[in-house]
Amino acid sequence: MHKRERTLYLLMLVILCSLTLAGVILEGPEDLLGKLLLLQTRGARLISDFTVHGVGLALLNVASVGFLGLVLVYFAAINLSGPTLATIMTMMGFSFFGNTLYNSTPVIIGVFLASKLAKVSFGSYSIIALFGTAIAPIVTYLSFEIGLTPMIGIPLGIVSGIGIGFILPAIAGTLLSLHQGYSLYNMGFACGFVGLFIASILNALGLLQPLAVLWSESSSLALTLVVPVMSLFFIITAFTLERPGEMLSGFLGVQGQIGRLPSDYYESESPSGTLLNIAVLGLIYWLYVLGVGAPINGPVLGGLLTIMGFGGFGKTVKNTIPIVLGVFLTTLLLGNSPASPSPILAALFSTTLAPLAGQFGFFIGILAGAIHVIVVDVTASWHGGLDLYNNGFAGGLTASLIISVIHWLSANRTREDFT
Amino acid sequence: MKRKEFLSRLIGEMTDFLLEGDPLRLVVSLHQEEDGAHLSFFDDQERTEQEIEKIRTALNPKRNRPELAAYYGTMAGRDLNLGSRLKLIGWQIKQATVTNNNPGIHIDLWLGSDSFIVPKK
Repeated sequence: MHKRERTLYLLMLVILCSLTLAGVILEGPEDLLGKLLLLQTRGARLISDFTVHGVGLALLNVASVGFLGLVLVYFAAINLSGPTLATIMTMMGFSFFGNTLYNSTPVIIGVFLASKLAKVSFGSYSIIALFGTAIAPIVTYLSFEIGLTPMIGIPLGIVSGIGIGFILPAIAGTLLSLHQGYSLYNMGFACGFVGLFIASILNALGLLQPLAVLWSESSSLALTLVVPVMSLFFIITAFTLERPGEMLSGFLGVQGQIGRLPSDYYESESPSGTLLNIAVLGLIYWLYVLGVGAPINGPVLGGLLTIMGFGGFGKTVKNTIPIVLGVFLTTLLLGNSPASPSPILAALFSTTLAPLAGQFGFFIGILAGAIHVIVVDVTASWHGGLDLYNNGFAGGLTASLIISVIHWLSANRTREDFT
Repeated sequence: MKRKEFLSRLIGEMTDFLLEGDPLRLVVSLHQEEDGAHLSFFDDQERTEQEIEKIRTALNPKRNRPELAAYYGTMAGRDLNLGSRLKLIGWQIKQATVTNNNPGIHIDLWLGSDSFIVPKK
């Protein structure tokens, strides 16, 4: 294993151990396992803020899912680098409001079985498996939320999760070509697509319950400090990898990247510059959340951790700002508060469209953000809140629309015809 | 993936890349057998040694990335930047050799078993 990969493993272990320790301190040692087991049975569809059930408990859940991601990357014998760091950080982020060990594992098993059928290594499908946990709420929903006895509900939930995981590789690749890599959360697009069909079936059977929003408005020092402390860890690690001059020039090099999938900054650019990009992105958008007066709760932290994770795999300060600005201005134009649940989450997760701004410039970025915030407001109801990466679903649709028009315009250049 | 789809994707991506240089001539040659294949591309576009080296490096990535090749491999054939688009090919083949014919480039892609590997000089 290369030194820079070892360093990244060490960094992630430090972060996960710190979260575990903070979780144990905040929650207290009493019946910790029991509380964690109870959390596995809680509703996980959008938006289910796990910090409402206890800040320490949510941190423990984040750490446990993060460990699952890290262990899978290690045993799948793939590089811990930009893409895999993005998957682990995203899974951790969504464990603040949806992912648990119970609901994520069946989907991963399903993708594993698909890899066996396709006769490829699990490593080849590992990114699909980890990001595929976006659809995990279906497992919890069928197991515990539709009124079945655990004897029937639990096997049904697990089997459904495995079945859905099994078809994800087929769908993910096909949908990727629709937006051509301009939406970073492609698995959100794929899971939303699958979610449409599942929600329709549930609806036909009279089993689809209306969406509810569980959103903590209270502030907690521990949650407020998660992003700055993690950013500090990333900056310290960056200093151990390369000299400050190399780090700064690497950071500037990363800012020049378009970010279209697959752009592994950690390997193709400077590792320290990439880690600095991750930290700076985290701090900028943490300040944005505080600036608009939104609470630092589970879903908001999910958005911040996802931005940080993709700081090594497509996002830069330069290509995210136009998108968020588009979301912010449109929110104000529509007379909504940027701090209310949907706009604040749209602002953070809209950065899935960062490659559009990276490739086509500032104004296309603003346009993409504006379209996205309008579309994302309705898409959650389409898949019944079963796709945690709802912004990935809306982002995939937005990117597909914009790219289709841009390509059509650029393809109509008569001077290049043979006539 | 079926061999036909794989080869057609590789040929599509490589020709797309070479056609961007607007060459007057472009030759594609395929030799395939049960256990492997050898693809050759020639054009008449003039390139600097640095450009040739960039192409050579991108087509021969230092490390295998199965997780990227399997998922994002379908992105090959799209107008990605040079590094990414050629790396996507590099992750899916055994080896590539790139020679400057001055003017023009000669790219060999080797796939499959060890009998389909560039002969040592």
